[in-house]
Amino acid sequence: MSAYQNLEQMKGDFYTQKFEAGKQDGTLIINMGPQHPSTHGVLRIVIEVDGEYIVRSEPVLGYLHRMHEKMGETQTWGGFIPNMGRVDYGHPMAWNWAYVGAVEKLMGIEVPERAEYLRVIMTELNRLTSHLLWWGAYILDLGAFTPIMYAFDDREMLLDILQRPSASRLTYSNFRVGGVQMDLDDKCLELIRTFIPHFRERLPMYHDLVTENLILRRRIEGVGIIDEDMCQRYGCTGPVLRGAGVAYDVRKDEPYSIYDRFDFEIPTQDSACSAGRYHVRVAEMEQSLRIIEQALEQLPSAEGKHIMDKAPKPSMKPPAGEAYFAVEGGRGKIGVYVVSDGSKVPYRVKLRAPGFSNMNAFAEAAKGTILADAVAILGSLDLIIPELDR
Amino acid sequence: MLQLLEGIPTQCVAKQDKVSTGRAWSVFLAPAQIVKTARKLYEAEYSLEDVFALDIEEGFLVLYHFNRWNVDERVVLRVLISKDNPTIPSIASIFDGAEWHERETRDFHGVNFEGNPNLVPLLMCVEDVDFHPLLKTDKKRKQIKDLLNLGEVVSCNKEIEALFAEAEAEVASDA
Amino acid sequence: MFGIPMILINLVIAAVAAMIWLALNALVLVYCERKFAGHIQRRPGPFEVGPHGALQPLIDGLKLMSKQLLTPDNADGFLFWLAPILSMIPVMLLFMPIPYGPVLTGMEVNLGLLLILAFSSFNGLAVILAGWGSNNKWGVLGAARAVAQTVAYEIPLLLTVLSISFMTGTLNLSEITAQQAGFIWDWNIWKQPLAFLIFIVAMFGETNRAPFDLAEAESELTAGFHTEYSSMGFGLFFMAEYGYMVAMCSICSVLFLGGFYGPFPGIEGWWWMLVKTYALLFLMIWARWTFPRVRFDQLLNLNWKWLLPLATFNLLATALIMKL
Repeated sequence: MSAYQNLEQMKGDFYTQKFEAGKQDGTLIINMGPQHPSTHGVLRIVIEVDGEYIVRSEPVLGYLHRMHEKMGETQTWGGFIPNMGRVDYGHPMAWNWAYVGAVEKLMGIEVPERAEYLRVIMTELNRLTSHLLWWGAYILDLGAFTPIMYAFDDREMLLDILQRPSASRLTYSNFRVGGVQMDLDDKCLELIRTFIPHFRERLPMYHDLVTENLILRRRIEGVGIIDEDMCQRYGCTGPVLRGAGVAYDVRKDEPYSIYDRFDFEIPTQDSACSAGRYHVRVAEMEQSLRIIEQALEQLPSAEGKHIMDKAPKPSMKPPAGEAYFAVEGGRGKIGVYVVSDGSKVPYRVKLRAPGFSNMNAFAEAAKGTILADAVAILGSLDLIIPELDR
Repeated sequence: MLQLLEGIPTQCVAKQDKVSTGRAWSVFLAPAQIVKTARKLYEAEYSLEDVFALDIEEGFLVLYHFNRWNVDERVVLRVLISKDNPTIPSIASIFDGAEWHERETRDFHGVNFEGNPNLVPLLMCVEDVDFHPLLKTDKKRKQIKDLLNLGEVVSCNKEIEALFAEAEAEVASDA
Repeated sequence: MFGIPMILINLVIAAVAAMIWLALNALVLVYCERKFAGHIQRRPGPFEVGPHGALQPLIDGLKLMSKQLLTPDNADGFLFWLAPILSMIPVMLLFMPIPYGPVLTGMEVNLGLLLILAFSSFNGLAVILAGWGSNNKWGVLGAARAVAQTVAYEIPLLLTVLSISFMTGTLNLSEITAQQAGFIWDWNIWKQPLAFLIFIVAMFGETNRAPFDLAEAESELTAGFHTEYSSMGFGLFFMAEYGYMVAMCSICSVLFLGGFYGPFPGIEGWWWMLVKTYALLFLMIWARWTFPRVRFDQLLNLNWKWLLPLATFNLLATALIMKL
């Protein structure tokens, strides 16, 4: 049962053809992407412009589609964890956690306390790298070349820290069902302790140099309104939702793991524009630092194998059933839904990517803005294309 | 939740164990009721998390996850549709975000969403429009009762009960 | 001498010198820009080719030349290749009337300023042809932006230049320089501070440099008007851009900063011109690596709502003061 009985329709550049059918007079249809500097990968957006003004736009996904959900149905439960690091290269720890958490729910496994703390520390450090990456790239999209180098300078320090317990620098997969794979060693803890004051010093500098810049503020303030109602209709979460004034954070509203033990705030902005999302993310970096500090203080001692002693083998067989687990990623609510039929292989793994829903709101937000704003809006959504396409 | 569903002929409403499933409510619906329910949820400030399908022996089980921002009360709507005519009304007119989720589900399972404003391939390429990667082989396909459990039933009609009947019986005999 | 008029020989020498000057400046400037940008960004910049990467621009030039020249399908081949040439040639002419030293002027022209302004407008035409000829939608968008931008920024530029020539009573650049001889407070910048500021801003707009590089805006229009250019097609645009920068900064130092005169009498020479020009060039480079790009409507707003009224006001005020 095909949506298209006539396959002739689909020859050539199908999406542009389809878009062109409703074209107005005197407008131009341009393809932003799949190769375009500010789509951060192979996202394609078909845009109809009237001069510089965007009449309508439609994102075309699928250029980086890898069918992780099918891979989930062919690999063992444990064997699927490395996939999670590849779904979102920006914040892989949170994806790790979402999947691992869902399986733990299914099996009813308690995670050792130290492992919980390690998870929090590593996820928050990873959130910092994710936001730094976004920050640099966003300012680069807006035409300033320098800040990304400063952001990567700090990000480099974080990667040096994170590579010690995870043995990788980008696509982490060190979470295991029932714990984490490696402990933080003393050197690593020391690096984190020196990083926190260092980064606290750097944040005001970023603020002075970039956030206060008049050109930047004019570029992002009032651009790309995604308000509360839009967020509800599109299912936007994370900084996009908090930028619209809703203090919703999975870490607070649906507390998982040990997040209820930490004292941190949820930064919100009421402006619902790109600037709101920008300020939310910048403020979140400070909150992440606070969480890491508290976690380091509370971190239980590392005697024996306290990080994954209850972990099942990779060839585990969870009981039949279903579980949904949501965590707060750098881009919003990451949800993983797993169904087990009691065998070694998941029956169904559904990944709910926050970027997918956030990107969905782009077409409506970009309508009527000018082409340069489209770039500003895209950047403010903090897109990671592999996560969109999965 | 229960008063929200008043006036909607549900097939089965059940409470779920939050700790083990991550959800508060599970609601079985007939395909015709999904739009009405979605509207009610929209009015009650629920937002859409995702839409996807599950390939089981009885047909396709289309799942909708909803959650609220102020209160954590995740709801899963389940709609069972037959394999012969996998068609279900689209809720994209209420939750615009459903458009992409529905297109994705169409790509992966071949479920047709009637009324979706733009039902063209999203993640799969146009040439593979009739190839659905997440369909199970007959050998691997399981029955609903082997996969899910109903939870704490509030109200349930016979059809759904019958689907889970055997499993319940087994549980009872185990106990 | 063989019946060839002296002025012709002079002109040929000047043209050749201008070409060399342009190429040399482009090389030096590319190196300076990359080094400077590197240090702004806390990295060393080019370091591998030659001592401290000094030969990097040469190698880059070689690389550009060795690349294939591509003409896109359905492009207007004639316009497509005319554009970079049209962009390059006027730049050389720009250098002719600029007095680089007491005796170092390519061509004494009484209407030197007019000549420069006329020829500098060629760049806009070249950009339009490039965008149109390359049969690329991004190119067309870039060209459309370039038209609006150059037309807009030409006006305040002209008005400020006009107020200088009102004041000095001449369009001859050598004479304008000569009037600024003496101490540092004799320079025009003190008499026309507003004009100087407007000139600097308009200069960014005229040369398509960040934060006003809307015509190429790589994060919005991929590369704007030169999206489709490869090899020396791009190389010529690149050199022309630096050429315009050097020319504009030279003119700015002639008009406002006393040209080849030093801060006090008796030390004039071509090196002063060089120092001032490069100081202004560094300002441009610095701005590029610091600011985000402005949006197109903001760019035009800035021009029509601020620069133009201010420049007009400045001109009227100058005229009034001169009359009194």
